[in-house]
Amino acid sequence: MLPARQLLRLLEIVMQKKQFATPPKRVALFVTCMVDMIYPEVGMAAVELLERQGIEVFFPAEQTCCGQPAFNAGYRAETQGLARRYVDIFEPLVRSGQVDALVAPSGSCVAMTTHFYDVLFENDPTYRARAAIVAGVTFELTEFLVDVLGVTDVGAHFRGKLAYHASCHLLRELGVDRQPRALLAQVEGAEQVSLVGAEECCGFGGLFALKNAPISSAMGRRKTQNLAASEADVVALCDVSCMTHINGLLTRQGQHCRAVHIAQLLVNEVEVADQPHSTAETTATTVDKTPPSRRWQDLRG
Amino acid sequence: MSTRDEILNRIRVILSRPDLPFPPAVAPPLDAAERMTVTSATGEARDLALRFGLEVAKLYGTYDVLDSEVEARLALVNRLRTWADEEAAARKGMGLETGQEKMILSWAAERLPVAGLAEMLQDVGWQLVVPADLTTPESREAVRFIRFGVTGVDAAFASTGSLLLAASAGQSRAASLLPLRHIALVPFSRLYPTIEDWLAEQREAGGLDDTLRRRAAWHMITGPSKSADIEMNLTLGVHGPKFVHVILFAG
Amino acid sequence: MATSTIDLHLPYTTRVAKALGNRHLHTALERATERMDGQRVAAMGAVEGERLRTQMRQMKEHALRHLPELLEQLESNLTANGAQVYWAKEADEVNRTLIQIARKANVQKAVKVKSMVSEEVHVNDALAQAGITAVETDLGEFIIQLAGEPPSHILAPVIHRRAEDIADLFQKELDMPPTLDPQVMCGVARTRLRREFLSADMGISGANFAVAETGTICIVTNEGNGRMCSSLPRVYVVIMGIEKVVPTLEDAFLQYQALSRSATGQQCSVYLSMTSGPRRPGDADGPDELHVILLDNGRVDMLAQGYGEALCCVRCGACLNVCPVYREIGGHAYGSTYSGPIGSVISGLLHNSVTDVAALPYASTLCGACRDACPVKIDLPRLLLDLRADHVAEGDAGRIEHLAMQNFAWMMGSRARYEAAGALANSGSNVLAWFSGGSIKSMPGPFAAWTDTRNFPPFARHSFREQWRARKARTKRITREE
Repeated sequence: MLPARQLLRLLEIVMQKKQFATPPKRVALFVTCMVDMIYPEVGMAAVELLERQGIEVFFPAEQTCCGQPAFNAGYRAETQGLARRYVDIFEPLVRSGQVDALVAPSGSCVAMTTHFYDVLFENDPTYRARAAIVAGVTFELTEFLVDVLGVTDVGAHFRGKLAYHASCHLLRELGVDRQPRALLAQVEGAEQVSLVGAEECCGFGGLFALKNAPISSAMGRRKTQNLAASEADVVALCDVSCMTHINGLLTRQGQHCRAVHIAQLLVNEVEVADQPHSTAETTATTVDKTPPSRRWQDLRG
Repeated sequence: MSTRDEILNRIRVILSRPDLPFPPAVAPPLDAAERMTVTSATGEARDLALRFGLEVAKLYGTYDVLDSEVEARLALVNRLRTWADEEAAARKGMGLETGQEKMILSWAAERLPVAGLAEMLQDVGWQLVVPADLTTPESREAVRFIRFGVTGVDAAFASTGSLLLAASAGQSRAASLLPLRHIALVPFSRLYPTIEDWLAEQREAGGLDDTLRRRAAWHMITGPSKSADIEMNLTLGVHGPKFVHVILFAG
Repeated sequence: MATSTIDLHLPYTTRVAKALGNRHLHTALERATERMDGQRVAAMGAVEGERLRTQMRQMKEHALRHLPELLEQLESNLTANGAQVYWAKEADEVNRTLIQIARKANVQKAVKVKSMVSEEVHVNDALAQAGITAVETDLGEFIIQLAGEPPSHILAPVIHRRAEDIADLFQKELDMPPTLDPQVMCGVARTRLRREFLSADMGISGANFAVAETGTICIVTNEGNGRMCSSLPRVYVVIMGIEKVVPTLEDAFLQYQALSRSATGQQCSVYLSMTSGPRRPGDADGPDELHVILLDNGRVDMLAQGYGEALCCVRCGACLNVCPVYREIGGHAYGSTYSGPIGSVISGLLHNSVTDVAALPYASTLCGACRDACPVKIDLPRLLLDLRADHVAEGDAGRIEHLAMQNFAWMMGSRARYEAAGALANSGSNVLAWFSGGSIKSMPGPFAAWTDTRNFPPFARHSFREQWRARKARTKRITREE
C-alpha cells in the first residue's frame, strides 16, 4: 500500500472524474446489494448494455453492500467497516489497471461511494485517498453510457407511454439528469409523457420509510397520483430503491403504471400488455429472457 | 467577566480551533472587482426612467416620465385630482369626512425637487402639511386622516423600480408611510441604473458609510405595501401606501 | 383570543399524525408552497442566480470567520450612533433586558414586527407576564395571534390556514362582515392595527441583517409594519442573533437581494428599513431610543459543535417550500419555532425546549432539494447526516435499532455471511410472498411500517451473482468446445 502522502497527491489528480484518453475497455460492475438479491434482472440488463458497447465486464464476487443504509441512519462506525471493505475490493483493481472504470446501476450507491465515503473517512487519510481513487473512475450506468462512451441510441424500443422519475441522489448529488433523459429520448416507439414533480422525492429515504412511514407513504402517494395523471404505462428510473417504493405503492393501489429500471427498458425487456387497463398485474410485463428471476410485473399485485 | 466578553472570547477560542469544520480558515471578503451587480439597466436618463416605470408598474405602482419640472408640477396636481375624485366617490354619502381631505402630508418645500408646489396647490384649494414634530398624540391626530403624501427621493433605481429616502429634518418618514397614497418626485439626476451603481458612486466619493450614518434611518421603497399572507393572495395597502405614483422628470 | 387546537408539545408522532390527517392543512400547504417555490425559481433564474448564491456564501463565510471583530465593530458604531447595545446568552436574559428597558421607559404597549428570534425566546409570553401588551402587526402574525397559534412557516406564518378559516376568525374576533375577499380582510386589519401603531410606546423587531461598518439595523418587510414599528413608537428595540452581522453596506444589499428573491421571488421586498440610531435633532419622527440586544442562545454552541454552517441561514424559507416532508406535514408538526430542513438542523442546537427534538434530523429523506434552493448553499442534508451520527454516537438511538444496524453491518461484512443471509431472505420472503399471492403484503415487527401501505417484492430465486456464475460457466463450456 502506498503511504498516505503519495496517495493524497494521487487523489488530487483524480479528484476530477477521469477523462479517458482511449475508450475504456474493462469495467468492474458494482451491482449493489438490492439488485443482486432482489432485482438480478437489472444487473443482467446493465451487463448486456455494457457488453453491447464492447465493454468487458468484471464482477468481483467479494462485493456486498456499500453501507448506505447504515450511513444514512447515522451509524458511521458500522458503515466504516463496509466502506473499507468496498475500497479493499475495488481500489486494487483500479490502481493495478485491471479495470478502467467502475459502473453501478444506482445513483444513490454511486453517491455513497463517490461523495459520502469522503465524509466517512474524514479522519482516515489513507482510506480517504484510496476511496477517492475509486471514486475518480466510478460512474452511474447512464452517466457511463452517455458521458464516457458517448452513446444515447442503444437500439431500444418500447410501445407505450413512458415517463421518467429523477431519483434524488442521482439528480442532486451526482448531477446526472441529462444522461438518462437522453437515453430515453432515443427509445423508438415510446410516447414520452411528462411527469409533474418528476424531480420530487418519492418518499423512500432508506430508514425514513420505516421511521417516518406515514410521511413516506404520503410522499409516495403524491408520486403515484402524479403518475396516474401522466397516464404513463411505465416510469423509468435509475435506482431500484425508489423503484421498490413506487411499485410497492402502485401494486398496493392496484394501479396500472409500473416503475422500471432504465437498464431493463433499454435492453427491451419491458412491454405493455395489449389491454392496458384490464388488471393491475398484467399491464407492464417484461419479456422473460432470464427465467429464474422474478420481476415486479409478474407479481400478483 | 461580562456576558459580552464571555460570548466574544468563546467565539475567538472556537474560531482558533484548527479542526473546526466551519467557517473555513481562509475566508476572504468579496472584493469590489468581483462583486456582482445583481440586476442591470442601461441607456440614457430617459431610458432609465422608462425602465423604472416598467418595473414599478409590475408591482401595481403607477408613473409618469416627463420632460421638465413644469410638467412634473402639473402631473402632480392632476394625479392628486384624480385620486381625490376616487376618494370622494368611495366616501360618497357615508358621512366619513374628516376635514383632512384636502391636505397633503409632505416633505419641506426646500426638500422637494419641484419648486413652487405649495403655492400652486394652494391656488387650487390644497394644503401642504409639513409637520415639524410628529411624536405627540396631538400632532399625530392632526395628520392621521391625510390620504396623500408627497416626497422627493435621495436616489432611485431603475432596474428594480426602487426609491431610496433618508429620514432627516424636513424629510419626515410619515409622508411616505402613513397616507394611503404616496407620490414620489424623481428628477432624472437622482436616478441610477441599479442599487450597486449608487453604492459604488458613494463609495468612490469616499463617503458611503458617512452618508448612511448621517441620518437616523433610510428607507428603500419598491412599490405599494403588500401582503400574501392570506393564502398567497396578493393584497395591497396592508400598512403602508396602497397607491404609489412616481413622477420621473428631466431635471 | 381564540383557543387553538395546535399543541407543539404533543409527541412527534402525534403531531405528524394530526398534520397528515388535516385535509385543510394539506390544501393550504399545497397552494402556498408551490406558488412560493415557483416565484423563487423564476426570480433566481432571471439573474445570475448561481453567482448570487456563490457570492452570498463567500460573504457569509467571511462574516462568520470574523464574527468577533464584526460584532465589536457593530457595537461600537451603534453606540456612536446613539443606540444602547446589550448582550444575552440565553432567552431569559433577553426578556429580562427587554422588560427593564420597557419599565424604564414606562411602556404599556408594544407593537411587533414578525421576528423569528422573538418567537424563539418567547418574547410575547414574557411581556404578557410583565403586564405589557404585545401586538403582532404582520398580517399573518396578527392572524395567528388572534387564533392563539404559533407560526408554521419562517416567512408565511399562517400558511397552514385557508382563506375560509381566516374569514371565520375575523368575523368572530373583529366583527368583520362575512366575506372571503382578502382585500377586505386586509382593510379590517389595517384599520385595527393603525390604531395600535399610533398608540404604542415601543416597537420590537428582529434584524434581517446589521451592518458593522455603519452600525445599521436592517429589516426587510412588505407590508410596512416594519417601518411603522421602527418609526412611530418612542422606543425601538431590536433583538437579533449574533450571526446576523454583515461587514459592509455592499454586503447588506447583496443579502437583501438574495433574500428577497429566495423568500418571495421579488427583486426587492417592498420596504427595506435601515436604522442607524434614534431620531436626530430636527427630525419630525423616529424613536427617541434605540436598543439592540445581541443574542447567543445556542449559536456559539452551534459553531463549537461543528454546525456553524447553519449560521449562514438568512431565514428565507426557501428550504421549507421545496421540502417534500414540509409540504406534507407543515410547520407545527416540527414542534419548534423553526420548521423544515433548517428547523430540523437548528432546533436541537438552539437552547430551546422542543418536544422530541431528536426525531427532527430523521424527518428528511435527504433528497437535497433544500440545498439546491438555499441562497447560501447550506449543505442541509450533510448537517442532518452529521446530527444523526452524533445522535448515534451519543448512544441515544435506541438499543434495538443499534443492534439491528450492527447485525446488518456484520452480515454485509463478509461474502459468506452476505450470501447466506441472501439465501435466507430469499426463502423467507418467497414464503411470505407465496402466502399473499406474489408480493409481500404484510411483514412482521418494524417492517410492518412498510407493508401497512406498500407491498414489498420477494427476493430473487437466483441472485445476480448466481446468474453471473452460471453464465460464466456456460461461456467457459462454449469456449472449451470450440
